[in-house]
Amino acid sequence: MARRTGPGQALVLGLPLVALTVLIVGPLLATVVVSFWEKQALGMRPGFTLKSYALFFEGVRLAVLLKTLWVAASATALMLPMAYAAAWAVAFRLPGRQARVVLFLFAVPFLVNYVVRTFAWSDILSRTGPVNRALQASGLAGGPADWLLYSDFAVYLGLITAYMPFMIFPIWLALAGIDRRYLEASWMLGEPPLATFRRVTLPLSIPGVVAAVIFGLVGCFGEVAVPLILGGTGYQLVGNAITSALDVLNFPLAAAMSSVAILVMLGLLVVWYCFFDLRLFLGKIMGRL
Amino acid sequence: MRQTGGGPRWVGTALVWLLLLIVLAFLYGPLIPPLLRSLEPAGPEGAGGLANYAALAGDERLLRALWTSLLSGVVVALVAPALALVAAQAVRIFRLPRLITGLVLLPLFVPGVAMGVASALGFRLLGVQPSLPTIVTVQVIWALPFAFLVIMTAMAGFDPVFLEAAHMSGAGPWRAFLEVELPMIRDGLQGAALFSLILSFNETIRTALVQGGRNTVATYIWSQYLQVGLSPALFALMSVLIAATLGLVAALAVVERRSVAG
Repeated sequence: MARRTGPGQALVLGLPLVALTVLIVGPLLATVVVSFWEKQALGMRPGFTLKSYALFFEGVRLAVLLKTLWVAASATALMLPMAYAAAWAVAFRLPGRQARVVLFLFAVPFLVNYVVRTFAWSDILSRTGPVNRALQASGLAGGPADWLLYSDFAVYLGLITAYMPFMIFPIWLALAGIDRRYLEASWMLGEPPLATFRRVTLPLSIPGVVAAVIFGLVGCFGEVAVPLILGGTGYQLVGNAITSALDVLNFPLAAAMSSVAILVMLGLLVVWYCFFDLRLFLGKIMGRL
Repeated sequence: MRQTGGGPRWVGTALVWLLLLIVLAFLYGPLIPPLLRSLEPAGPEGAGGLANYAALAGDERLLRALWTSLLSGVVVALVAPALALVAAQAVRIFRLPRLITGLVLLPLFVPGVAMGVASALGFRLLGVQPSLPTIVTVQVIWALPFAFLVIMTAMAGFDPVFLEAAHMSGAGPWRAFLEVELPMIRDGLQGAALFSLILSFNETIRTALVQGGRNTVATYIWSQYLQVGLSPALFALMSVLIAATLGLVAALAVVERRSVAG
């Protein structure tokens, strides 16, 4: 921009930004600090101890962490092809107007409270729910199928329907930003459609794919309601372990587990930031900058 | 794009729509059961149907939660777009677009529980008691990235050359913004405000960790489930929440359409 920034402008824009930085980054730093504090009977005391991390990385909680990593990674792996196919269809196969409508329709359920949606799944999958009734009526199952609810299946279904729409948008952004002339050039050079996809479309959409993967992982890592409602008693992911630590007022432990979750995600984010130019990804939005 | 495989063109189109419809069915299916369950009798002798909805009006705790939801929703709908607008302007004016964008989008990349714990600990260290302001703060931070993206999209459709023209006509930066840019991105701001309101109304896990003794409608449903389990009245409340959200979404769609047409 050719314009110079006046002092008034710098102040009006700068002060809220500083406040935002404090509000967003402050709590994250506080969490990391508190994770090293000592637990007291009621509350905590400043200090430096690794006890909370030791508690986290042993026995049951370590198993929960590993399980969460596995569930998050596998659920994301399941969501990715679905989200990619949906995003690809919207970006390349629908005319602009329809594409806008379908994208909007993808966003709507996300706006409805996901806890409510999760309750709805528990109802749909229950022993007397529509799926079980249909299975029995069609003779596919003799009695109520128990694997439907309070199972890995239910948890994956809950996670996928909660976070898959989230993954469609970054992939769509990346796909919609691809210059169609590359695809035409590839076609004119004699590449069949599949090779064009593999060698042109896919590589150019990778920034969106990686952002989508981070969204999927973040969602699964921060999840409390789905394992509780659909996983049944004893089904624990890191989110549940964190809230249980809060329930017994063990703030340093909750902070340590949160810190690990935060740092893993921010680590992924930094990798993404270093490898991809934000403008490539948000090209449409940041185009005029 | 041209036709990929063999077969007539409509086969490909049909497959694309089939895929999209399956995805949409999985996303929209869960909006129906709460409505069905909300009409069931509340007990062996209880009346079903609308009695469950009528029972909601007599629940003092719920009415207080509704009040909290409305208050925080309105404040979030005003504050989040304002902050997002400031950030979006700063992206254009300061020369640190990556840094500012990264900061504003950061809450999207922090797992929900972890963000809730972080906010709760931050407030605790500062000695801030759980209150309406803590709820609003957490929800503003959650809504901010979405409001920011909506406003950035609106601003992308605005050519800064108009600002140059305003400057050359003698307008200062304030006047140029208020009289030239603001009217042109107004729909984007309205969309961001509606989006923020919806997000605030439905936010549960982060709010639950900083609300203290209060409740919002969303956290009321969550805590009722944890304490007494599901009931037809609770399903009725969920149906109301779904209906309210869809109503707001319809308003959002109207704003969207207008901004496309305009």
